[in-house]
Amino acid sequence: MQTASYMQKLLQIEWLKLKNHRPFIIIASFFTLGVFTINYVVYILNNTINKVQGAALIKSSNPYDFYYTWQTTSYWTGWLLLLPSLLIIILVTNEFTYRTNRQNIIDGWSRSQFIEVKMMLALIVAVCSTLLVVLSATLFGLLSGSSFSTHGISHVFFFFLKALSYNVIAVFISVWIRLTGFAIGSFFIYIGAENFISILLNNNLSLKLRNDYNIDLGSLGDYLPMNASDGLLTFPDNPLKTIAKSALPTDYTWLVACFAVAYLVLFFWLSKRNYLKKDL
Amino acid sequence: MEILNIRNLSKNYGTVQALKQVSFSVPAGTVFGILGPNGSGKTTLLGIVMDVLKPTSGTYEIFGQSPTADQRKQIGTLLETPNFYHYLNAVENLKISAAIKGRGVDDIDRVLEVVDLAKRKNSKFSTYSLGMKQRLAIGAALLGNPDVLVFDEPTNGLDPVGIAEIRELIKKLSKEGKTIIMASHLLDEVEKVCTHVAILKQGTLITYGDVNEILINEDVVETSAADLEQLYQLLQRMPGKLSINRKDQVVQVNFSSGTADLAAVNRFCFDAGITITHLQLKKKSLETKFLELTH
Repeated sequence: MQTASYMQKLLQIEWLKLKNHRPFIIIASFFTLGVFTINYVVYILNNTINKVQGAALIKSSNPYDFYYTWQTTSYWTGWLLLLPSLLIIILVTNEFTYRTNRQNIIDGWSRSQFIEVKMMLALIVAVCSTLLVVLSATLFGLLSGSSFSTHGISHVFFFFLKALSYNVIAVFISVWIRLTGFAIGSFFIYIGAENFISILLNNNLSLKLRNDYNIDLGSLGDYLPMNASDGLLTFPDNPLKTIAKSALPTDYTWLVACFAVAYLVLFFWLSKRNYLKKDL
Repeated sequence: MEILNIRNLSKNYGTVQALKQVSFSVPAGTVFGILGPNGSGKTTLLGIVMDVLKPTSGTYEIFGQSPTADQRKQIGTLLETPNFYHYLNAVENLKISAAIKGRGVDDIDRVLEVVDLAKRKNSKFSTYSLGMKQRLAIGAALLGNPDVLVFDEPTNGLDPVGIAEIRELIKKLSKEGKTIIMASHLLDEVEKVCTHVAILKQGTLITYGDVNEILINEDVVETSAADLEQLYQLLQRMPGKLSINRKDQVVQVNFSSGTADLAAVNRFCFDAGITITHLQLKKKSLETKFLELTH
């Protein structure tokens, strides 16, 4: 109870900083609009494709029917998660640029409080993103004419994990790099580098181990920090995907989820350690 | 009671030693100046005390206890430059400061009046001049009427009227019994408002204590004689002198301000059999004193 009140006070102060911050309002609005737009586009495209002759194989399931809607919405919305991450980077690095983080400490926040409230911000942004996914999935699920079902809603949890991972990594990079431009650049370079390594691992090592040595450790690239949460969100199964999957390593979904959680803890700890030890 | 107690504080930036084993304490109720040229370590010292910098070694206590974040809430601080959210106005910025300090917002209008920003309180911080930013930072430090204030170069960026106002404000706060720690590279600023002073030079504490003892104005009696060495030896025994030193072809004898008596110096030398060929009274400026201490 005391912890909740303590966090509430910190967040109220954070809200004072945010509520008139134009980039926050613009990016949050774009993201909200984007969630519904991207799913609407996919929904319309899917309906169009279903009408086209020759798409019979895919037609066997509508990706926005319950219970597929949770997975489909989570998957497509996952592509937009760079926006809240960029917002987090801007918000955190601006504190360094304008030295307001120093003023917060001088005024009486502890260094721990500062980093904890930024992590709470990352969590709240992830929760809000997830709520938008729930709303969007429900809306398009109902629009598709199917009956409401929570079956498969675990994919929304995976979306939340991915959103939180992106945001926490954004805080981590911001705290270490401190300069907005460099932090955003580093974030994209990191995403690109990790994806490249992931592809190398999956295409070479994982398949080699499975095919040549009969060792199926899953897709090894999925155990890297960002891919751990990325790998949890996949496009809903359809007959084409099922055929392709049979040639790929097994998806150890919950193992990958455990890795994602472990990385979250690691990045939180590294961010906090950096902020506690360094000059501000 | 001591408000701040610093023990052997050192800070290195790579190979540069910004602070070297600095120790002093700040008594309650004083206006304590930290004086030194640019780069002497004043801001580094205050930055460590405010926990925005980490010391390489050494410790410090605030209010006689190990430092905590809650103690900083009891201190109003302006450190180096005014740091505010540029997209927010004065009131919104002060609301954040007040919330962090755990104080109500009802004091905001008062401090904005004190620093003469009431008319611009709804303007964004980014539209402020340097002087206005400085005044807002002083206003933020005054929030909640704290008993201890830390000002780092408080008159930076202010016009002459603004400088005079802030100095008067500091004197007024001092009269109210507040403890003020003020870093400055301006000697006259320290001399005009401080009761105590610590002088830093390249990270080393040169001296500290009562400002009237350290930055006292002195009378300098410049003398010369045929045998300069003999004169120097004799004047070592001159009653009432503060210090003595040889400089080129003269011997300088320092007395407290207003106490030098040329006739007495002349008589003292004459009685000892030395005829003075040059005798002149000079006033030592504070700047000279400061330069002596820091060079």
